Amino acid sequence: MATASETSVVPTHNESATKWWTRFLDPSERTLAVLLLAPAALLLALIIVYPVCRLVWTSFQNLSLTSGVPAEFAGLENYRLMLDDPVFWETTWNTVLITLITVPGALFVGLAMALMANLPFKTKWPVRLSLLIPWALPLSFAGLIFAWFFHSEYGVVNDVLRRLGFEGVIWFNSANWAFAAICLTIIWKTSSFMALIILAGLQTIPRSLYEAAEVDGAGRMRQFFEITLPLLKPAIVVALIFRTITALQTFDIPFTMTRGGPGTSTATLAMYIHQNTVDFLDLGYGSALAVVMFALSMCVTAVYLRMIRAKG
Amino acid sequence: MNAEAPTQHSFLSGTPLRILVGLILVVNGMFPALWILFTSLKTEAELTAKPITWLPHAPTIANYLRAFTDQPLLLFLFNSFMVAILSTALTLFISVLAAYALARLQLRARDLILSAIIAVSTFPLVTLLVPLFEIMRALNLLNTWVALILPYTVLSLPVCTLILVSFFEGIPRDLENSAMIDGCTRIGALFKVVVPLSAPGVFTAGILAFVNAWDEFLLALSFNSNPMLRTLPVGITLYQGEFAFPWPVISAALVVGIVPVAVLIVIFQERVVSGLTSGGIKG
Amino acid sequence: MSLPKTLTWLLAGAALSLTASAAMAQQTNLRVFVSSQHRPDVWRKAFDMYEAKNPNVKVTIETGGNTSEAQAQYLNTVMTAKDTSLDVMILDVIRPAQYAAAGWTVPFNDVLGNNAEAAMKQYLPAYAEANTVDGKVVALPAFADAMFLYYRKDLLEKHGVKPPTTWDELTAAAKKVMDAEKDPNLQGLSFQGKAIEGAVCTFLLPYWSMGKNLVSNGKLSFDKDAAVKSFKLWKDFVDQGVAKKNIAEVATDDTRKEFQAGNVLFAVNWSYAWGQFQGGESAVKDKVGVVKLPAVAGGQPASCLGGWEWGVSAYSNNKTEAQKFVQYLSSPETSEFMAINAALLPAFADKYTDPDVTKAVPWFAEAKPVVETAKARPVTPRYNEVSEIIRTSVNAVLAGTTTPEQAADQMEGRLRRVLR
Repeated sequence: MATASETSVVPTHNESATKWWTRFLDPSERTLAVLLLAPAALLLALIIVYPVCRLVWTSFQNLSLTSGVPAEFAGLENYRLMLDDPVFWETTWNTVLITLITVPGALFVGLAMALMANLPFKTKWPVRLSLLIPWALPLSFAGLIFAWFFHSEYGVVNDVLRRLGFEGVIWFNSANWAFAAICLTIIWKTSSFMALIILAGLQTIPRSLYEAAEVDGAGRMRQFFEITLPLLKPAIVVALIFRTITALQTFDIPFTMTRGGPGTSTATLAMYIHQNTVDFLDLGYGSALAVVMFALSMCVTAVYLRMIRAKG
Repeated sequence: MNAEAPTQHSFLSGTPLRILVGLILVVNGMFPALWILFTSLKTEAELTAKPITWLPHAPTIANYLRAFTDQPLLLFLFNSFMVAILSTALTLFISVLAAYALARLQLRARDLILSAIIAVSTFPLVTLLVPLFEIMRALNLLNTWVALILPYTVLSLPVCTLILVSFFEGIPRDLENSAMIDGCTRIGALFKVVVPLSAPGVFTAGILAFVNAWDEFLLALSFNSNPMLRTLPVGITLYQGEFAFPWPVISAALVVGIVPVAVLIVIFQERVVSGLTSGGIKG
Repeated sequence: MSLPKTLTWLLAGAALSLTASAAMAQQTNLRVFVSSQHRPDVWRKAFDMYEAKNPNVKVTIETGGNTSEAQAQYLNTVMTAKDTSLDVMILDVIRPAQYAAAGWTVPFNDVLGNNAEAAMKQYLPAYAEANTVDGKVVALPAFADAMFLYYRKDLLEKHGVKPPTTWDELTAAAKKVMDAEKDPNLQGLSFQGKAIEGAVCTFLLPYWSMGKNLVSNGKLSFDKDAAVKSFKLWKDFVDQGVAKKNIAEVATDDTRKEFQAGNVLFAVNWSYAWGQFQGGESAVKDKVGVVKLPAVAGGQPASCLGGWEWGVSAYSNNKTEAQKFVQYLSSPETSEFMAINAALLPAFADKYTDPDVTKAVPWFAEAKPVVETAKARPVTPRYNEVSEIIRTSVNAVLAGTTTPEQAADQMEGRLRRVLR
């Protein structure tokens, strides 16, 4: 790729060739765009538009199946109820906290993992495999496995602590320790998602750039901050967008590790939504909570998209 | 791309340090999987031993025998594999087209379309479950692979499209132009030049789509109640009782579920992707 | 199956079902949802017997997930979508009231005749309570379950201790044996402190034993003193070293595993544990005894009712046939058949001592007095909310993040909002 990018386009046909992509929205281009986007649009329309519309509509309804009262339009009643719902605020706060801790956590660990995995190892597969495995371990089972690791008696973590001469910790007896255990698990599970995307980005950085920097006498740190990081930015932003959205939706790991305990101190918004829709059958309220989560995610996404655009 | 990664990236040189770094990576990634592997060779009684044991005292394959005989594990694997591979192929095809449009064509509504695609992944699945079920029933797709393939494709479409957009944007346009001058159509240039040059990105998108489909539980549980169509994540829960949670057998089933995927992805990476990449450079 | 193949199958299936429905106009097809852990193979035999007697009825089985949670997850989707594919479904005992309120099941009063109450009298009394909402019989019992006190017969005999009848006696017995055994791995008592459904029973056992009810006639009848005492009872076990410090992370199967490994003297658990304790891998085979759960001093012993019920879907196209079928499934004969062939506890008191049953599963004779003390968890459409409040409170008290008094206060406030 490095050599290829330096080849210039043959000048004879240049005029007609550059015409199509410099001209703004040429009609054939519009047709092409429609054609290329059509499969995605059709599939999304078929699968997701109806459920999402239904969800939003339900959120304006008083629809609790256990109340025995038929569904009726309630306007913003469900949204108003949220304001005085302490569990909503607690779970939202927990979710935001998990997001604030695990997204940067996964970014740093993932970046480090990707840089390490990009080292020229002679046999590559063990390193690649260890990048993949955390991602490939089913989420709910990852929660169960880590609940076991953090178990006060049968857990590996306390076993190691004891071997090193420390007291074991009863992780799930304290809100803070339980929270820490959950965040560590999420970072472990999701940093490989970040690493996979960043590693792919690293592999497309032309070597020639580093060679040129070397000639200019730039040190490795400078190369990292002036070449690697800027060129990785698009990949990092994409990874961040989806990591943040999934962090806001955190469900399986706290659900399987603590059930939100002790008490409700580690319950997340997604757990509360699940509870309202599946356990309590309060579909109206559950939908309203989901819409709030959507709004939250879109706000964050807007910020990230601005970051992409800032690139120019 | 450059399978021989540039040494310039590394702050570290020298073999011992490099081995240490590799070890950290491997231990971090593999430990839980290894733990599951060891557990699958233990008896349940050994799990309650104090202090805990790391390596199995008396390794047994009884758990694997039970995993294969108690439930049709191979059938679960087969269903999961087919659903995952088909939805990955569909996801990649659709998202390559969409990503190309978003990366290369001058679209006034680009940001709007991007946001709309991202918005798809911001709703918790559980709240969309009932209407999705109704759609699948209306299409007469309940209890088919398609009932899972379509939604899995939708689930992975946003992340795959965005990854590909970011990769396509990094490919110099001149390369595409020269291919078109050589007589390629635009779509031809997309598949002959842009996609191969973005091989690491396509591969990553593929892995994400595959694993998303491989791990999904909620839809698989709700749409395919026919035991012949059960996928692995639903199947593994069948080793549980209402209360009983036999870790050794479940571990054995998990190992059987993880190993083929891991091996497949690594082989694919080493053989196919490296091949694609070098081919792309030559082309 | 490839994509085109699937489509072909679909078309073929559609064509088949069209011709089939014309040919079998009188044939009734009943689709029954059974949990795959409750011996669907043996239920199949019971269904076959029904088909033999009723040639116009054909029964097919649909097996669902193994945990109560996975089943609820699946059924909730199917029922919210008003799906007609299921006619009969097996429900965890805590669900019939919710399903009836949601309009997902039809009551049996019509087929039970004028005297539904009398019809329900044949079952263990707690089952009549669990399946009746506002005078309507919303489901019929499939089989029973309850919480038992398992104990180490060998250790109690060795130290000359009798199985306890009160929680105080249990504390004393546990301390005596633990002091004498000096085994650091031996716990006095194991119960469920994780925020799971089992923790609701944990709270209710002593609460009921004090003669209090949480819900009476659909209204909250919360007794705060009793609640505080119940929390204190469990917390004291932890503080006195009878139960483990990490009891807040113990789920039902942890109790079972540790007892089975020989590390527990007394354990509170469901009936499934018995079979596992007597299994080949068990360290306590033939060393296990089972008795009623202890009472509080001056109270009555109480156990927590489990078990599963049959409900008929409101969206079924064959409700009448389905109801008849459920009556058969919930009959003493089927109950006996399932007890003998699948070791499922009967919902009829006299079946526990039936000679055929005790021959197949001798321990049922010991289970009878326990099952008779079992009480139903609050029967309300909003049970899941009640459960959530109780289980998180129990968990927080046992983890030590709130005091019994605080927990009871908060619990009362939250329960009042749910059950006005």
